[in-house]
Amino acid sequence: MSANETAGRLPVADRAAIFGAVKRLIVEDRAAFAGVVALYVLAAGAGAALPVMLGDVIDGIGTGWTASRVDLVCGAIVGCVIVQLLLLRTGRKLGYRLGERAAAKLRESFIARVLRLPLGTVERAGTGDLATRTSGDVGAVAELLRKTGPEVAIGAIELVVLTVAAFIVNPLLGLLFLTGAPAFIIAAKRYLRLASPVFLSERAAMSEIAETLTASAAGSQTVAAYRMQAERGEAGYARAETHMGRLKGIIRLQTWFFPATDLTFLTPAVVVTVVGGVWFLNDWVTVGEVVAVAMLTLRLDGPVFRSMMSLSEFQMGGAAMARVEGVHLMPDEVREAAPEGAEVRLDDVTFGYGDGPDVLHGLSLHPRRGERLVVVGPSGAGKSTIARLIAGIDRPRRGSVTLGGAPVADIPLEVLRRKVILVTQEHYVFTATLRENLNLALDVTDPDARDEGEAGDAALYAALATVDARWVADLPEGLDTMLGEEHHELNLAEAQQLALARVILADPDVVILDEATAGIDPGSAGNVEASLAAALNGRTVIAIAHQLQAAESADRIAVVREGRIAEAGSHAELLAAEGAYASLWWAWKGVAA
Amino acid sequence: MPADPWRYLVSVARAHTGLVMLGFGLLSVSGTAWVLLPWAIAKVIDEVLLAGTTEPLLPWSIVLGTVAIASSWVFVAGYRALFMAESHARVRTVRNLTDHLNRAGTGVRGAISPGEMVNLSTEDAHKTGSFIFQLGFGWMGLVMTAVGTVLLWRADAALGVTALVGVVLIGFVVGPVLSRLQHHQIAYRSSVATLTGQASDVVGGLRVLRGVGGEAQFSRRYKVASTHLRDAGYGVARADSWVQGLRSSLPLALIAAVTWVGARLALTGSITVGELSAAFGITALVAQHSGAMIGMAQSVIAAQVASRRLTAFFKTRSDVADDGTGAGARGPLVDPASGLSITPGLLSVVVSAEAKPTEAAMERLARYRDSEARWGDSPLGSLALAEVRERVLLLRDDYLFAQSLGETLRVGSAGIDEAKALAAIEDACAADVYSSLGSTLDGEITNGGRNLSGGQRQRLRLARALAADAEILLAVEPTSAVDAHTESLIAERVAAARAGRTTAVVTASPLWLSRADRVVWMVDGKVRASGTHAELAEHGEYRSLTSRQES
Repeated sequence: MSANETAGRLPVADRAAIFGAVKRLIVEDRAAFAGVVALYVLAAGAGAALPVMLGDVIDGIGTGWTASRVDLVCGAIVGCVIVQLLLLRTGRKLGYRLGERAAAKLRESFIARVLRLPLGTVERAGTGDLATRTSGDVGAVAELLRKTGPEVAIGAIELVVLTVAAFIVNPLLGLLFLTGAPAFIIAAKRYLRLASPVFLSERAAMSEIAETLTASAAGSQTVAAYRMQAERGEAGYARAETHMGRLKGIIRLQTWFFPATDLTFLTPAVVVTVVGGVWFLNDWVTVGEVVAVAMLTLRLDGPVFRSMMSLSEFQMGGAAMARVEGVHLMPDEVREAAPEGAEVRLDDVTFGYGDGPDVLHGLSLHPRRGERLVVVGPSGAGKSTIARLIAGIDRPRRGSVTLGGAPVADIPLEVLRRKVILVTQEHYVFTATLRENLNLALDVTDPDARDEGEAGDAALYAALATVDARWVADLPEGLDTMLGEEHHELNLAEAQQLALARVILADPDVVILDEATAGIDPGSAGNVEASLAAALNGRTVIAIAHQLQAAESADRIAVVREGRIAEAGSHAELLAAEGAYASLWWAWKGVAA
Repeated sequence: MPADPWRYLVSVARAHTGLVMLGFGLLSVSGTAWVLLPWAIAKVIDEVLLAGTTEPLLPWSIVLGTVAIASSWVFVAGYRALFMAESHARVRTVRNLTDHLNRAGTGVRGAISPGEMVNLSTEDAHKTGSFIFQLGFGWMGLVMTAVGTVLLWRADAALGVTALVGVVLIGFVVGPVLSRLQHHQIAYRSSVATLTGQASDVVGGLRVLRGVGGEAQFSRRYKVASTHLRDAGYGVARADSWVQGLRSSLPLALIAAVTWVGARLALTGSITVGELSAAFGITALVAQHSGAMIGMAQSVIAAQVASRRLTAFFKTRSDVADDGTGAGARGPLVDPASGLSITPGLLSVVVSAEAKPTEAAMERLARYRDSEARWGDSPLGSLALAEVRERVLLLRDDYLFAQSLGETLRVGSAGIDEAKALAAIEDACAADVYSSLGSTLDGEITNGGRNLSGGQRQRLRLARALAADAEILLAVEPTSAVDAHTESLIAERVAAARAGRTTAVVTASPLWLSRADRVVWMVDGKVRASGTHAELAEHGEYRSLTSRQES
């Protein structure tokens, strides 16, 4: 797996980085790790003692042991079982806890890192990639550390212990015991090479089934409206057919893999019995030794299968770990500029996304302090880009975007956020209480300062009232009501009001509203805008709108077209100029021009 | 399709009776061969080693080798047969779901969440198949127990009894009790879900967090939940380690017991040394497979639960009656509940401060809800549903499926050719959608239109509705996400394209109102007044709603 296959993608850790991460986790918890390994080894030893002691009993019977001697050894066998249980139980418990701790550490540092990632980088990679890593890969790594890893480790330890036991019983028979090793190595290598893509493609086919059927269900009305039943039916059947093909791929793999794995212990079982038998007749070994080693070979069955079956999961866990660890490979943004004051200036700014063409062409804009500036223009003119530049999400290609004299993209986030807040049309309600959702903006890292940071209930209610959020009165548990899909779900308008209330509470120097009221009912949008304007009085407000609601009452209006400021001025000035804004305005007002 | 969960399972399995029977037969042979393996080893020990002669070595080696190969190869053949039966069953359930989605139509709205649909089509479909598989393994365990008991019994009844009692105890008594201990895992799994939800929140809301802050709060919250999960994991570890430990130690305990009994018998000469080792080996193999018998019971229960969810979904019916037969209705569409009436041949604009009741009225007129609505003299319910769907089109936040742009615009279906599709794109001002997809109708749209922006999705939906060229088009807020300039163009082009046809648009935008032949003003879901825009502008309340911040 190479890092950075495609430019823009989030990086993936290479083998060395994964080993480094695993080593770090082990070293941090080394006492527990050593203890767990020791327990597993001893438990495997106690289990392997059974066939060995059986061999002793058989040879003992041949050499005339008494009944009490046989009872003594059989009692010892029972003792081994009890010891094995206790060792294995303790080992499993500690091993599970060890994995659980490691998983917790890994996911917490992952999330902490994700929260610090530069937004521009995440967006270039696509949030889908990050979402997969967060929801799928983190869980897969936890499974690896908690379950699959120990499973493979226990299997490997048992294999080694059984082999050692065979050599202790009789080194010659021990050599015969190894005749299964080539089959094991070849099967494991081949399986590791082939299995992952086969299982992954099967899972992908299953996700496609889920996606297709979920789309059919979610779009049932569209299917009815456009009479798409036949093609939805075909789509579902085709997905099922693809899945069937992938399942056949799995069975093709297992058809050779299972017999090959069986050879791992069937070969030594037969060889030990037959060759060992001949050696016995030559007096090189005893009957008891042959039986003991033959029975040891039969015990290989369990660990061989358990570890082989875990191999592909183990490997996929490794791939997930590579993606999770990958986020740590991203360079940190260095942002150290210190703004003085809160004046925003865009000077001769040229900007484009990624390798794309320029979106803004030498654009200059100087919102005055405390001014309410409305930016209007057709879709795709670059309005939202201006918002992102002022909020410090992106850096201009040429020219400068400054806040208080410092380049915005160089100001540390904690500082920037107290001065500039961007509210976009993308509203997200977090699965948390209404209070927590509102307090986001008052986030204070220093726990001593938190009392100050968390606004009182009265302030929260006042902010909600300002944005006309009357629905709050109907919430079952007021500010402590859990929001989010599985709890109380907010509609678009309510989510937008929540976002605006956050801004009022945060009270920054500069507020950028990018289509922030687009989803609110036409009946109440006007009220919300008016009361918001009152609440933000004295702040610099930059409102971006494709509709003209907010324009008339603005101090100044900037019309953006094709990445340039086409006109700017007050409502009255622009109407008098009879330019693009004027014609748009009259059309919008419903007055025939 | 059977409505009873058990019968559904049987019907799914029965479709592949041949494969199932073949699988069970082969696994019986394989199970027998497995148990014969230690028996053959014992024969070599007794008749070659202890007899001190190499003469029977060759025949017994051949038997041993054959048994070894058979146990493994026949097993794979049986496994293969059951795997295929399971796969066919899964595919069958997915097809059944596909068919049912079409049969129930809009009846699935609100009846099933996306998450449930995902589960039905993946986990539940899997379980309805995998029980066949687990039954096969359970059966193999039973065969092994039976053959093993018989072999041991033939050596000595005491050995047979000890082994049988032990296997039954492990498989049917202790095993299920142990499984109960695993209830901790349920709490654990829900903690995992909570944590995953929080993590997804971080990614989903990253833009918001970056805009207003809250990273530290989220990091803190995640840490708390992560610690909870860790502690829940510790709880699982406590119980689960006993389960895992006992699962591995109980077979060993049984082996110890059989060995002890066998050793005493061998000492007195009742059984041979070879039989003692066979007892050890057979018990080891049988005890190891006794787990499969527990798995069998569990998988059947899980399959029944899954089947119950599936059959419950199969019971959803269409929520709009489809028993009308009438055709050829003429005249205005009338919704008595709201008083809304759509005049044929005109562009009507419906204005309201409240979105929900207006949209509900549109749903009634397009027959997405059963109601008293009429089309001219005919109650809508008396008309054939297919006819209503063909002639009346409701446009709102329609779904965009994963297909090409041409397929999305229904090119190739009745009366829609490429030229018409391109014209619809033009009328909906969706040329940027076309160009962003490579300026070809073959450009692919991803599920939900996720490769388009919100505004592009809205205009593409409008283009699809325009291309369909329905006799009556009812559009709810078709241009809420576009800028004023574009909205003005769309209103102009749609009015021209649909001249002479019936069109109703729910919006308060003056850009549409200025094009309207007729305006209906609704308040609280009832028609307050109707007429031209100019006539209605006499009402102050209407004016403030439509001309926005009139000073």
